[in-house]
Amino acid sequence: MSSVYLLTLRQLSGRWRLLVMSVLALMPVVLTESLVLFPSSVSVEEFELIVLNTMLAGSISPLVVLAIATVAFGNEVEDRTLANLTLAPIPRWQIVIPKLFATISVAMPFIAISALVTTHVAFNADATATLAVTVSIVAGLAMYASVFVFLGLATNQAIGVGLLYIVLWEGFFTTYVSGVRVFSIRAYSLALMHGLDERRFADTDNLGFGVAIGVSAVVFVGFVLLTIRRLRRMDVP
Amino acid sequence: MTNNVEPVIRVDHVSRWFGSVVAVSDVTFDIKPGITGLLGPNGAGKTTLLRMITGLADVSDGAVTVFGQPIRNNHALFGRIGVMSEHETVYGFMKGRDFVKIMGRLRGVSDLDAAVDRAIELVDLMAAADRPMGTYSRGMRQRMRLAATLVHDPEILILDEPLNGADPVQRANFQDLLRRFAAEGRTIVLSSHILEEVEQVADTVLLIVNGKLAASGGFRAIRAALDKRPYHVRVVSDSPRELAAALVTLDSVDAVHIDPDGAIMVLSSNVRVLQIELPLRADAASIRLFRVEPMDDSLESVFGYLVEG
Repeated sequence: MSSVYLLTLRQLSGRWRLLVMSVLALMPVVLTESLVLFPSSVSVEEFELIVLNTMLAGSISPLVVLAIATVAFGNEVEDRTLANLTLAPIPRWQIVIPKLFATISVAMPFIAISALVTTHVAFNADATATLAVTVSIVAGLAMYASVFVFLGLATNQAIGVGLLYIVLWEGFFTTYVSGVRVFSIRAYSLALMHGLDERRFADTDNLGFGVAIGVSAVVFVGFVLLTIRRLRRMDVP
Repeated sequence: MTNNVEPVIRVDHVSRWFGSVVAVSDVTFDIKPGITGLLGPNGAGKTTLLRMITGLADVSDGAVTVFGQPIRNNHALFGRIGVMSEHETVYGFMKGRDFVKIMGRLRGVSDLDAAVDRAIELVDLMAAADRPMGTYSRGMRQRMRLAATLVHDPEILILDEPLNGADPVQRANFQDLLRRFAAEGRTIVLSSHILEEVEQVADTVLLIVNGKLAASGGFRAIRAALDKRPYHVRVVSDSPRELAAALVTLDSVDAVHIDPDGAIMVLSSNVRVLQIELPLRADAASIRLFRVEPMDDSLESVFGYLVEG
């Protein structure tokens, strides 16, 4: 499996891709620094809504993951090198799992450091809050990675479909239509955040901590299984 | 390595369609050890057929078995097969040696470094092995891909248009290599749309036309069928009627007719004799020839003839 992992790491580490991810990851840090340097009347709830919920969990994290995850299979489908892997005498899960972990490995430093620095600055180095935000954002990243890796294999319009999902579903419907919030990776991520630091973050979500852990696991594993199934059934170009 | 004469690959009433397009239609054949040429014009269905034989694509109907087992999703079988697809894309950032090594590692090759060196030496690319493949010429990329195909010493080799981009020396070396593998008892399937390419190495030929198996068997028998077919030759001259009258008496000419544009269409079953006699007759009758062109020298027309026959 290490061969597929290392090969995918190399494929995902394009200079331009890393640069774009760096810029995206810096945005919440810069915004938070600005809020701290120029004190305003932003409450914890407002900061959570604007920076953590909308920006980090709802935009930056899925966008960074989308840029990487859809390439994990997408590029190889497009340039027809996927057969190099699928013709190897290894089960399909040994191709999917390393590719997924390579995706997470590339995206995680950017997102985790961004979340860590943002919260560290915002909450005056509160370790519990910083840990809660970082862990929950990374958990969200893993779920997004699982979904978008599948998307990269399922369609050659993965970027477009992924953007629609981020903007329309995560950004609009699950924000303004409360009934569908239980089907949002962002909501699971925030529920984890609240569960990990109930002292600081208001419990405004509809999910409990236990449910959030369970649903997150189901989403992650479910899309891994869908990706394996897709790789078994598809015609490899 | 198998030495028996039982079919190694069995394609049994296989069809494949994409929506309303039938790419392969009810094809049945067996492939035994030795070199089998899969011959057909571009778009005939060769690649689709090879993709089904390798398990990369599913069949719509029928069955493909390799060593008696279904190939699709049978990853244990993949270790016994080496596949070189027609697509020439490589990991441009990767050195040739690293590419062959990673392919060997994925295929569970023991004593990997020795196997990698052996495979790269076989394709005579040791000097460039430590350069990124993005710097390779087309022919070099093909040879390094072949090395990666050979690194796990497969019993079956499936090569889709492998000689694309190869120069004459490389072609000759490649053909020697295939003959050597065949002599060792391996099964080699070689796809090409170039008749001569297959003729030089294949023991058996499978002709695929419009997704169907048009003919199969030894090359000589198929070649003889090709030689017997009548050729159409288009002749443009300054006196088409006189030339037609002169040509119709030749033994090498089966029929002559004059097109509305004034060109003569000659049907000949012995085109070699015709190409000698035509200028002689024209010269004798003081007729100037402007153009003489074979109309159906393409492989497509050969296959068309075979299918109609």
